[in-house]
Amino acid sequence: MNDAHDDGLIRKAIGVLGALIMAVLGSAGLGFLLSPLVQKRDEGWVDVGPADAFKPGTPVQIQFVERTRDSWSVTEKRSSAWVLALDNGQITVFDPRCPHLGCPFRWNILDKRFQCPCHTAAFAADGAVISGPSPRALDRFESKIEDNRLLILPRPTQGHS
Amino acid sequence: MREWLKSRTGFEAIWKALFERAIPEAKGPVAWLYVLGSASLFVFIVQFTTGCLLAMSYAPTPDHAYDSVRFISDQVLAGRLVRGLHHWGATFMVVLVALHFSRVYFMGAYKFPREATWITGVCLLLLVLGFSFTGYLLPWDQKAYWATAVGTNIAAQAPVIGPSVAAVLKGGEEMGAATLTRFYAFHVLVLPALTALLIACHLFLVIWHGITEPPAREEDGAGDRRL
Repeated sequence: MNDAHDDGLIRKAIGVLGALIMAVLGSAGLGFLLSPLVQKRDEGWVDVGPADAFKPGTPVQIQFVERTRDSWSVTEKRSSAWVLALDNGQITVFDPRCPHLGCPFRWNILDKRFQCPCHTAAFAADGAVISGPSPRALDRFESKIEDNRLLILPRPTQGHS
Repeated sequence: MREWLKSRTGFEAIWKALFERAIPEAKGPVAWLYVLGSASLFVFIVQFTTGCLLAMSYAPTPDHAYDSVRFISDQVLAGRLVRGLHHWGATFMVVLVALHFSRVYFMGAYKFPREATWITGVCLLLLVLGFSFTGYLLPWDQKAYWATAVGTNIAAQAPVIGPSVAAVLKGGEEMGAATLTRFYAFHVLVLPALTALLIACHLFLVIWHGITEPPAREEDGAGDRRL
């Protein structure tokens, strides 16, 4: 057997195998290290039930649990929102806090308008200001309907003043 | 470049000592027994690297340990692979060092003048077992919890000092948050530091003394094959 030739072949084999192993380990390690760059963010849509459960015309208050995820730790918070369904199936979701100073307003059945107990701000069913100190219409939560489930994003977007 | 490095660092001498040193000429299956030490070293390096990565996304508290391990497996890129490497590497490590230990024992390679190499090696074997014991708790799932309960209860069986040993291991009378942080500190700080130190000593001694020849049968008259 030609020893010198054998030696060179083994060296080459070790080099190739070693490079292969390092490539696999290295790319796995690099991926792990850089994974914050590619991690998908949880947008925070909350499923609050079937969309056709809301009777058109009358706003209803819904309660839901909002989950905020910070890597592996999840915090839960009870929240609520006002949902108004229209005849054409469109749904508007309001932030339950008055835009004036943050009090929880409610729906006045007799007068058919939202009323804030703190400073008598009043809003129409579509959120527009009727009277009182509110600087703008009711704030809204973004919402969408998927497979007849109502999904909301419980972060306020400002209503029109 | 090579010349410059050679003259400034003397790496050539180190390279020669590490990789070009004379080793016994063993042929056939016996030769494979000589890879066990290097294989253990390689797996140790893999464990060290994957361990550093895992520690970046692991929280050693009862509230978060299990969830953070799941986070690594489900959310982190290549997290399942890195965790898998660490998991199987740990098992393989124990197998490798046990085989390495057996090879040295049955070949009588621990004898003069290599007693110090043997002693550091036995200490390293114990450290590896320490790694497996402390690492097993960290996922903080049912298997981990009860395995550690059994392990610490075995320690408690020792006469007189047993209960104290168990309490020191557990960081209290009951297993809990203190047990987890204790095991974590041992697993990622104490044991790696000691292991790195002992590996350095062990490797130095291996190179210093050279490696033993495979044992040959003594000629004893009956089986005399001398010409």
